[in-house]
Amino acid sequence: MAVQPPDLATARGADPAADPLDATATGPARASRRRGTGKGLWIPGTILGLIVLACFAWPLVYRDLPSPTAGSLLAANLPPFSPGHLLGTDPLGNDIVSRLLHGGRVSLEVGLTSNAIGLLLGGSLGMFAAFRGGWLETVTMRLLDMLIAFPSLVLVLVVSTYLTPSKLNVIWAISFFSIPTFARLARAATLRLREQVYVVAARLAGQRDGAILLRHIAPNVLPQLLTYSLLWVAAAIAIEASLSFLGFGVPASEPSWGMMISRGQAYISSNPELVLIPSACLFLTIVCLNTLGDALRARTGAP
Amino acid sequence: MSDTLTRSPGRPPRSQSRPNRLAGLLDRPARLLGRSPAVRVAITRVLQAVPVVWGATFITFCLMNLLPGNAAVALLGDDATPEQVAALSARLNLDEPFLIRYLQWLGNALTGDLGNSLQNNEPVTAILGRALPVSLELVVLAFALALLVAVPTAVVAAKRPGGFADRIGMQVSMFGLSVPNFVFALVLVLIFAVGLRVLPAVGYVPIAQGIGPNLRAMVLPATAIAFALFCEYTRVLRADIVDQMLREDYITTARAKGVGSWQVLIRHALRNSVFSLLTIVGLQFGALIGSTVIIEQMFGLPGMGQGLLQAINSRDIPVVQAYVVVMACFVVGANLVTDLLYAVLDPRIRHGRPAA
Repeated sequence: MAVQPPDLATARGADPAADPLDATATGPARASRRRGTGKGLWIPGTILGLIVLACFAWPLVYRDLPSPTAGSLLAANLPPFSPGHLLGTDPLGNDIVSRLLHGGRVSLEVGLTSNAIGLLLGGSLGMFAAFRGGWLETVTMRLLDMLIAFPSLVLVLVVSTYLTPSKLNVIWAISFFSIPTFARLARAATLRLREQVYVVAARLAGQRDGAILLRHIAPNVLPQLLTYSLLWVAAAIAIEASLSFLGFGVPASEPSWGMMISRGQAYISSNPELVLIPSACLFLTIVCLNTLGDALRARTGAP
Repeated sequence: MSDTLTRSPGRPPRSQSRPNRLAGLLDRPARLLGRSPAVRVAITRVLQAVPVVWGATFITFCLMNLLPGNAAVALLGDDATPEQVAALSARLNLDEPFLIRYLQWLGNALTGDLGNSLQNNEPVTAILGRALPVSLELVVLAFALALLVAVPTAVVAAKRPGGFADRIGMQVSMFGLSVPNFVFALVLVLIFAVGLRVLPAVGYVPIAQGIGPNLRAMVLPATAIAFALFCEYTRVLRADIVDQMLREDYITTARAKGVGSWQVLIRHALRNSVFSLLTIVGLQFGALIGSTVIIEQMFGLPGMGQGLLQAINSRDIPVVQAYVVVMACFVVGANLVTDLLYAVLDPRIRHGRPAA
């Protein structure tokens, strides 16, 4: 089961915890590595949980949160720790904490939803293609290879502007490009599973293809896809932030981290915190997703 | 169904060595053109890239034309009269069926005519010709910078896996893979342009005005792009070298002969790691082009990325189309060159035998 499809193994770079070092390290080195894996799971997991809670639950509980867009110019450019504005306000008088929380919501929503769409569509496409084999597989995979060859940010940019920028369209544009990646991964996993004894047994027992795919193959492919999808959520969040940064993402009525960074750029010499605070949030979220994904991969041995 | 039952188990073959039907189909013309197996493999690869490039243009054209929304309406704004829309539609050939328009465009493109800009009627090829060198310089500089730093870092990290250098290297590269490049670029601007005032934050100086000023303007953008590349390359190279040091017989042999440990690393392991480096370079090329779009916009470099954004903003469809197609062709071309380099470096691939 530990055979890695070469494209993904090289695409992400085998992480230090997953390489054969583990098998050969002895004594304290080995013990510390184990502990490292545990830390790698719980610390980013907790931070991510806190971010999600803060973005989705805090505005519901703490009703006095100022509006992220209806700030008053009288309260513009307040420094951090001002009364009523924990991190101060931006040049339009909007509360930064509130904008951060709403922006995080956009990032997470776009990341998770586009990922779910890619996982569902791409995963089933890859599984089906590998299970059927033959020309169907060749054609599907060639088509997806073509999509992979595209500079995805460029096309996401074009697609989401042509569909008029909105959160939903950004989600569609990004998930369009997560499909090939998941399809490839699912295909590689299915190719291995197809030869497993229990699949052959199910087929000999007369089960239909659909039933074999759903009941025997999908449950075994899914964990790998889920682990990998953490890394993809991180990528999707980065793409969304880039789009917003360029001004082609979610419209201005909804603040997002990328947009905050791009707006803050004009004030970078006078108020660098306008850029640094949302950048830090973005970075923290992505680094947690990446570390968690890497740690999970190392633990489950998934590619 | 029996076909799937009898197929032998095992790992999925590497894509570049998979003997697929398409390759077999293309093998015959290749055989006619060249006798040496190396030339044959090269020709087969080039022929294989043709349908991919064609597919790339087709996908682009589909995306631009089949998405909802009329280009003429988008150009004229919401308060245009139906007559204006009809006139512009006729000018843009929007009345023709989709396939006809595609074939017309493809035919013109093959003869080197990519149409004229809707903005100022300038030929698109002229716009491309101006923007291309800027982007190329940026990409080449970023590549060079990333490789220059990544190779020594990876070797030093792989010298003692789990050691001090290794840990630092891996932490830095984890950091680098997680920070979006525009954030990193802003931090660079904050430090070097706003804080230390040693480098310009924005602007482009053509090479014609001297190499020194030109490089000064390019340092920050190239570094911003190179950092992410450096992280990816370091991780891949290091993993590959460590893997070889543990597994491969030639490493054991070299060590048994008494070759020094740096020598083993550099002359035996590093040379063989070029393959995984090549793979990752090819795979990352699309992302690289994506990052030039953002970085050029940030630093005000008049390259393809900035041109694309301007064209999108002004709904200049022929220009957008040309940029996307050219960028896609670059990615395909990069993959082709990677494939060919495999063949140059590895005699087994050159002679049509599968790599181990």
